[in-house]
Amino acid sequence: MAFSLPVILNPLLALLGLGAAIGALLGFVSSRFRIEEDPVVEQINDLLPQTQCGQCSYPGCRPYAEAIAAGDAINKCPPGGEKTIERLANLLNVKVLPLDETHGREEPRKVAFIRESECIGCAKCIPACPVDAILGANKYMHTVISRECTGCDLCIEPCPVDCIDLIPVEDSRQVISPMSEAEYQACINCMLCVPECPVDILPHSLYRACWAGDLETAQQLDLVTCIECGKCDDACPSHIPLTETYQQAMADLSVQWAEKARADLAKRRFELHEKRLARLIAEEEQRRLKRAELASEKRQGAPTNNIQAALERARARRKPK
Amino acid sequence: MTDILLILVGAILVNNFVLTQFLGLCPFMGVSGKVETAIGMSAATVFVLTLASACSYLVFYFLLVPLELEYLRTISFIVVIAAVVSMTEIIMRKTSPLLYRILGIFLPLITSNCAVLGVALLNINQAHSFAESVFFGFGAAAGFSLVLILFSAMREKMDQCDIPAPFKGPAIAMITAGLMSLAFMGFTGMV
Repeated sequence: MAFSLPVILNPLLALLGLGAAIGALLGFVSSRFRIEEDPVVEQINDLLPQTQCGQCSYPGCRPYAEAIAAGDAINKCPPGGEKTIERLANLLNVKVLPLDETHGREEPRKVAFIRESECIGCAKCIPACPVDAILGANKYMHTVISRECTGCDLCIEPCPVDCIDLIPVEDSRQVISPMSEAEYQACINCMLCVPECPVDILPHSLYRACWAGDLETAQQLDLVTCIECGKCDDACPSHIPLTETYQQAMADLSVQWAEKARADLAKRRFELHEKRLARLIAEEEQRRLKRAELASEKRQGAPTNNIQAALERARARRKPK
Repeated sequence: MTDILLILVGAILVNNFVLTQFLGLCPFMGVSGKVETAIGMSAATVFVLTLASACSYLVFYFLLVPLELEYLRTISFIVVIAAVVSMTEIIMRKTSPLLYRILGIFLPLITSNCAVLGVALLNINQAHSFAESVFFGFGAAAGFSLVLILFSAMREKMDQCDIPAPFKGPAIAMITAGLMSLAFMGFTGMV
């Protein structure tokens, strides 16, 4: 043997000891500073449009989010469409897939509308609504709260008289035709627009972000602060319609915000709906237990008890006289 | 006291780790896109470097020297540095989630920042005492931070400039770093 055992034993033990000590320290620190992470299911659920329509073949957006987290395909959500698939692919670091047409097609947003003169008040559509957006009672006319309707079409099928329509929602924003590459190239970074801006935006940088449709960067460059005064337009030697570009981007941004707000509302209502259902089921279960208890009591000693009780009552009535 | 002042000035300006000794160039190029991330990275590096130089000093003089295992210093320093970085990461995640999110992938990258290992090894080579080691580590990190923040401020300005296409991105960054390095050479001989 070229070397004796202690020669390698010492360094081996030293490194092992060092490693063990550090491992113990790290273990202690990580248990001391443990944090609860936002589970991936929540993050996926936040990206889904919250229509709760079930077109993905799951009973709502949250169950689909759970399925995606467990490895299901990300392209089963027609209401979300290409945008949602793209965002999910970004979050989960997977490939963007085309929408699975077997689950439906991407269509403009719709809301349900009840033709009230034809409604017979059967109340069958009410439990079908995942966000409790239908108002009404038995034998009374029903109506849909259009602000809270997600357009999921789950109320269409239970209606016996087919009086519910899905009406597409008009998009009120006007579409300005996108600029060509040549017009984009017209910006030569001369910076003449920069000193003109009264709210200290960098118009040329913002213009580039808006043109590329990069709303996140545009927001960082204070798109929202723009007062659309048009001074940068006047300063631009290439006569680029800068303000018009910002207006377009702002319109896109407000659509995005409105979508998010709608999704949040629907999500909250769906959660409340689920909670209410769970409470109803629990109450029903409690009633059933109570009935069963009463029944068993009756079967066992109830008759004698009843007779006894009646005799007692009779005696009590007789006594005062 | 003068010794420590000399060590600090030497580490920050004269022998600046990035611009004179060319250590830690990866985060210097990688995290200098924005001033905010640069400041975050600097704070993390100052913390890690100071702690790592203290820890590696202790490990060397109280574990390796008594066992006559000085030749194991490189590998054991790497282990110590990795442990310090992991600990910083865990603690920062709990106490400052915002900074954690800003730093993201760059925090674990401090492990492979050769400036950290460089400081630990230089401390041994130059036979620094414990206090000197700590201040040398702190000075090196402060120098790194100074240069990183200056450089990121310059890069933010450059983003707004009309740079010729062939020089865009890393090319102009390298040229700028070279010019900065030239400027820092002026400090040579000061200490």
